[in-house]
Amino acid sequence: MDHRPQAWGRPRDDIYGAYDGSYLQNSGPKTATQSPVVTGTSVIAIKFKDGVVMAADNLASYGSLARFTDVKRLRPFLDTSIVGFGGDVSDMQFLDRHLNELAIDESYEHESTSAAAASPEGQGEQGAATSAPAGKLNAANLHKYLSKLMYRRRNDFDPLWNQILVAGFDGQTKPFLASVDLRGTTFSSPSLATGFGAMLAQPIMRKYAATEEDAARLTRDEAVNVVKECMKVLFYRDARSLDRYSIAVVTKDGVELSENEQLEKQSWAFAERIRGYGTQTV
Amino acid sequence: MTSIGTGYDLANSIFSPDGRNFQVEYAVKAVENGGTSIGIRCKDGVVLAVEKLVTSKLLKPHANKRIATVDRHLGVVYSGMIPDGRHFVERARDEARAWRDTFKTPISTADLASRMGGYMQAYTLYQSVRPFGITAIVGGFDSTRELPVDGEVGSGPACGAGGKVPGKSHGGPALYMIEPSGLYWGYYGAATGKGRQAAKAELEKLDLGGPGGPALSLEEAVKEAARIIYVAHDDDKEFELEMTWISDVDGPTKGLHQEVPKALREEAKRLAKKAQEEKMEE
Amino acid sequence: MFRNNYDNDSVTFSPQGRIFQVEYAAEAVKQGSVVVGIASKTHVVLVAIKRNAEELSSYQKKLFPIDEHVGIAIAGLTSDARVLSNFMKQQCLGHRLTYGRNMPVRTLVDMIGSKAQINTQHYGKRPYGVGLLVAGVDSAGPHLFEFQPSGMTEEMIAFAIGARSQMARTYLERNIDKFADCDREGLIRHGLRALKESLVQDRELTVDNTSVGVTGIVKAEDGSFKVEPFQVYDQQDVMAWIESVGDDKEGGAGDAGEGEGEGEGEDMEVDS
Repeated sequence: MDHRPQAWGRPRDDIYGAYDGSYLQNSGPKTATQSPVVTGTSVIAIKFKDGVVMAADNLASYGSLARFTDVKRLRPFLDTSIVGFGGDVSDMQFLDRHLNELAIDESYEHESTSAAAASPEGQGEQGAATSAPAGKLNAANLHKYLSKLMYRRRNDFDPLWNQILVAGFDGQTKPFLASVDLRGTTFSSPSLATGFGAMLAQPIMRKYAATEEDAARLTRDEAVNVVKECMKVLFYRDARSLDRYSIAVVTKDGVELSENEQLEKQSWAFAERIRGYGTQTV
Repeated sequence: MTSIGTGYDLANSIFSPDGRNFQVEYAVKAVENGGTSIGIRCKDGVVLAVEKLVTSKLLKPHANKRIATVDRHLGVVYSGMIPDGRHFVERARDEARAWRDTFKTPISTADLASRMGGYMQAYTLYQSVRPFGITAIVGGFDSTRELPVDGEVGSGPACGAGGKVPGKSHGGPALYMIEPSGLYWGYYGAATGKGRQAAKAELEKLDLGGPGGPALSLEEAVKEAARIIYVAHDDDKEFELEMTWISDVDGPTKGLHQEVPKALREEAKRLAKKAQEEKMEE
Repeated sequence: MFRNNYDNDSVTFSPQGRIFQVEYAAEAVKQGSVVVGIASKTHVVLVAIKRNAEELSSYQKKLFPIDEHVGIAIAGLTSDARVLSNFMKQQCLGHRLTYGRNMPVRTLVDMIGSKAQINTQHYGKRPYGVGLLVAGVDSAGPHLFEFQPSGMTEEMIAFAIGARSQMARTYLERNIDKFADCDREGLIRHGLRALKESLVQDRELTVDNTSVGVTGIVKAEDGSFKVEPFQVYDQQDVMAWIESVGDDKEGGAGDAGEGEGEGEGEDMEVDS
């Protein structure tokens, strides 16, 4: 029997066979996140005349399990922008806390509440530079920041597994909408959608706003209706979606966020005509 | 100051034979030359006010803020060496941020005062640094409500975060004053800087520490704060009055540390001047 | 025994609560030639007197661009100013890269303020021996800040630092109500007049010794507001401005020296 101290307390090789230490050897490169775990599905958004509308459902899935049904995936930032998250929910929470810190940094330069609201058009020389409240980060700034953050994380081979839409206004007070994904890829368009939405909702939204000019003609109500229609199509066809959703409208007056909307006037009649799978025989 | 010139006052962290640290006492002298700062803890919030001495006609009026926001619900005002005060504020912001990173919830006023008291004290321990030439007043409103955890996406457990005793009230207004030695106490009303004696005398007349808690309301406290700064002010110099306040989430500031709105500030100034004149007539 | 024991380092308070090393550093600012800054609602200008060490040497630069929207004027130790200037340039570039916008001017000024404050609280460090005027524009409009070796930073309507700057400040105080509505050219002329107040007798502004820096907000044709990038003007570019304030007495205290030829080749030691 082996009496050396390094063998104390170990199973005896002569009885149990040599210890298999292979599981301790990590062969291959060091890995970080390889896939998302708890996920949110599509986020969709469309610009209109005076701002941007964004929507996402309230579901967080664990694989195919509808795990959490009250998850808020649209996050307002400073009451001037809205950030919508698709993809990993814990990474979204990390980013949300990070954006919270960023928003607190912004509150350090506290202006008096009365001075905060200066008209963008300005009154002659007086309002010359008050196109935005002093120093406040607008949606374009926020999107730039997030894109740098996401790109850096992907270069560290430790990506934040999200697709993000940022909506609000740019420095020239025009409606702003752009996306960034886990690879740091950025994209901008009059309408944007992540995940399944890119396939199912984007063609519908493009019918209404194919170009910036089209979007600039859309009214708020039209934009909201398009988005609601898209949410319905997504619920019909995306198996990881929910009929409870959040919708946000960003205008110059701020962010209006409603987090407990219900898809209305659903009609599943079309399902009857779907053939080719399930229990149908013909 | 019997030991001055005997060599015990030439370096920080040195005890004199009678057990004093002269460098800390000299730092207090720097505070005593600074513009008066006060804080009032009242029934439904905290008011901070400072007498900003106008050292030059060329200064931009109302541009150089002296009361700083540390976290959404926390404010700091200080008397003494202003660059030291800015250092203090930056550290306080770092502490508040680190607390959020760790605990996913805002730091309480008491915890911030404790951290910053420790920080100030550390600068009395070594010959390689000098103490802070400021006395800081920290005011905050710790939410009385159940707060969502930072980054929370769902509605959370129905029973709340736990750790709270039923029937007991939690949070509320808080006020602390930290001296160059690192010593700090909680206060009903705090004053420091050049006019602290007069300010303290006035604060003591207010109903702030009664058995049923302070009777003074937030709006009254703003007016008292303005009056006290005027009383404590040395007449022949020009000054600006800067005031901030913090209420609970259902109060006028919605739980945030904010500048007192201009209308209220001007009204408070008018009353302060009137009180001043009436006193002169007596 | 009469020696001041409390002025050897920046970590010792005097019994009155003063830190002499910081006060001495402020004296270094007064050794530098004078610089003036003024802000209006649309523009902010810096003007400076440059010195040359000797007749044949070049003139010491006083104005430095930091970023598209910010510039500084310095008085004191130039090498210390370069450290701060490099730091500011890096911060502005970093901010532009991460946020895609101009760094807010106060944020930038607070950064150098904090940097300077550290030097007043740790043994083995010395305060910066330079004062700055920081001129910049951001989304809140034009700003002018003064930076002191103590780490103190304050936003001003107009200010002057450096040798004999008190006279320039007196001029600025007397005219302070005029600046807000001044146009670009008017603001520069006010700056030059203030500068002239601080010249010693027999000296005058020349194309060699005068620098002008300007940045501001200008209205573009489509009605939007654009930043006029900070630019430094020297030599012939400042000639017209110098001539325009040649012998006017507006706002000035007294005789602005009669010009006898160019100031070229003269000893420019404006302060004693």
